[in-house]
Amino acid sequence: MTGTTVADEIRVRGLTKSFGDSPVLRGVDLTAARGTSTVLLGPSGSGKTTLLRSLNVLERPDAGVVGIGDVEVDFATLPGGKAGLRDIARLRAQSGFVFQSHNLFPHKTVLENVVEGPVVAQRRPKDEAVADARVLLEQVGLADRADAHPFQLSGGQQQRVGIARALALRPEVVLFDEPTSALDPELVGEVLAVIRDLAEQGWTMVVVTHEIHFARKVADQVLFLDGGRIVEAGPPDQVLEAPRTERARQFLRRILDPG
Amino acid sequence: MRRRRWPGWLRWAAALAVLLGVAGALLPASAAAPAVVRQDGQDDQRVVRVGTEGTYPPFSFHESGSPEVTGYDIEVIKAVAEEAGWKLEFVETQWDAIFPALDAGRIDVIANQVSWNDERAAKYGLSDPYTYSEGVIVTRADEDDITTLADLKGRTTAQSSTSNWAQVARDAGAKVEAVEGFAQAAALLRQGRVDAILNDNIAALDYLANTGSKDVKIAGVAEGQATEQVLAFRQDDADLLAEANAALSALAADGTLSKISEKYFKADVSVEGGAADVDVSEARQRSSNWQVLKDEAWPMLEGVVRITLPLTAISFAVGLVLAVAVALARISRSRILSGLARGFISVIRGTPLLLQLFIVFFGLPELGIKLDSFVAAVLAFGLNVAGYAAEIVRSAILAVPKGQFEAAQTIGLDYAQTLRRIVFPQALRTAVPPLSNTLLSLLKDTSLVSVLLLTDVTRVAQVAAGRTNEFLLLYAFAGLYYWIICTLLSAAQQRLETRLDRYVAK
Repeated sequence: MTGTTVADEIRVRGLTKSFGDSPVLRGVDLTAARGTSTVLLGPSGSGKTTLLRSLNVLERPDAGVVGIGDVEVDFATLPGGKAGLRDIARLRAQSGFVFQSHNLFPHKTVLENVVEGPVVAQRRPKDEAVADARVLLEQVGLADRADAHPFQLSGGQQQRVGIARALALRPEVVLFDEPTSALDPELVGEVLAVIRDLAEQGWTMVVVTHEIHFARKVADQVLFLDGGRIVEAGPPDQVLEAPRTERARQFLRRILDPG
Repeated sequence: MRRRRWPGWLRWAAALAVLLGVAGALLPASAAAPAVVRQDGQDDQRVVRVGTEGTYPPFSFHESGSPEVTGYDIEVIKAVAEEAGWKLEFVETQWDAIFPALDAGRIDVIANQVSWNDERAAKYGLSDPYTYSEGVIVTRADEDDITTLADLKGRTTAQSSTSNWAQVARDAGAKVEAVEGFAQAAALLRQGRVDAILNDNIAALDYLANTGSKDVKIAGVAEGQATEQVLAFRQDDADLLAEANAALSALAADGTLSKISEKYFKADVSVEGGAADVDVSEARQRSSNWQVLKDEAWPMLEGVVRITLPLTAISFAVGLVLAVAVALARISRSRILSGLARGFISVIRGTPLLLQLFIVFFGLPELGIKLDSFVAAVLAFGLNVAGYAAEIVRSAILAVPKGQFEAAQTIGLDYAQTLRRIVFPQALRTAVPPLSNTLLSLLKDTSLVSVLLLTDVTRVAQVAAGRTNEFLLLYAFAGLYYWIICTLLSAAQQRLETRLDRYVAK
């Protein structure tokens, strides 16, 4: 990995995190330029989801630096109390997060789900936020379901609302945590298509996924994690076609040919 | 420009507080026991609050359907008040709560056939006697073995547990079952649950005359138990006591006391030895069951509307707000907060509600905190609801999936916003059925409120039963009111549940 530059949208240095006695991240470095898509691969327990959640501080790292856009937080020296929480809130506001199991608010309509963050947290004027939300829903192909409640939608539609909800925050970066793993196979395509569109529009994205074909087509860089470290990094044709480590080769063989 | 706004939940809480304040202010004055009113000014009469049972004919009772308490003791204290220049307010409560109410300064005098004895004389300011009665032993008509106090040894009697007669019975070696007045004692006697009742002859004769009962009889005289009945004041109220004694002797001298006594007893019980000739056979007329219900239906409904319903609604609202606060404290990371919440829940759930009511109403005044009856009731019931509902609210919050908290976090909501906009609406669905149980329990628990001198529907039934001896009929009728309200609440719960379920995948 090269040293970080100001041009890098995402800058992670020396990130560590343990759950109890077991270390999950053992010093992770990562950079991603503005407008690029980064795919995180790795076996379960490798730390890829923890790394992604650390970027939004859904997990709080033990030490290390996370920088997104013009906000940078050093977790080793983060002050306690209100000041620390304010720094975390600022960093969190830099990214939108799409969950594996969408986590839509069941008691709110599709439109209410999407405008909740902009109106309540960001205090943007409601009519402006609603207009924005309608554009986003159009973009994910759900303009006609704005007044539906989540339970009335298919899994793929729910996940697309989840994406619109993340985008509505106008974040610097969008984070996807296995966005298609909980979906029926025939619904996976519609969600991946939306994410691919976003990449083409120039959103900066980090995606945890097992969809190798998607990674090959969309990713600018692929990171392979194992045991809490990044063991392979590079453009997809390098990491996916010619991995240097045996561990990555093994993983890719299994995932491409599960039988 | 971003203005800093109050968090929404805080505004809600403030609105609720205002609402409660307004509701409290609007409550009909008669719904709450009078606050301390001391008007010692020259123009105003002194207001003296009289504690009495209202269920002890012919001394203190209600004429059929009348909201005004009347009876021998009531007329005596009214005459005393006129003589002494007092203005009276009557506070009705059951006997066992009367002396605590006097201690706590919620009443100023007891006019309820208080018998003179050494213990009371040591603790209270007792007036000169205005009644002389003799003690009698009442048994079932077919009982031949009990005619003297000595025969009571090893037998069971029914008495108000703190009454003078209870002590006499215990001294005679009898076991005492606690009851709430003579009529209830007589019911136990007729049913064979007790063997005898000790009381003064006037109460016993009145009962026999009023009920026409052939099942019980006056079996003998409690020898050496002629008693004197007095007005009881707090010891530090020497002025009132002196005024009362002066008034009593004036009333005895001008024949007023004799006149009142003749009216009720056809004998002068205000002088020694007068009680032997008491005749109460024409005192009051018996009512048919139908007439009793017709007379009491409206007063009981008034008890529902004035006390039972507002007390339930306001206590529940207060309790819920407290419950949310306690539940949040309980799940907070702060050990101190969660420890305090645990302690509170443990105390509330670990002690009887009746004791909690007594402590708030009679205990707090000892610390100088004297609350109006209704406010005290709201506080006690509200705290009780909070103790139980806190655990319901806590488990309902924890039942909301973790992903909902995380999603709220990632879109930038703070903790208060997350709770109010995302978590509470979903937790409500889980919480409604158990909270409905709490509400129904609360509604029925408010029937304990007569110990706080409030006249709720149950108290109205007690008063009417004391006068008519129709316990079963009146208590069942009171139960009907509770049942109807509970049925309506259950229907409302159904609708609410359906409404909350509408966004959930089936």
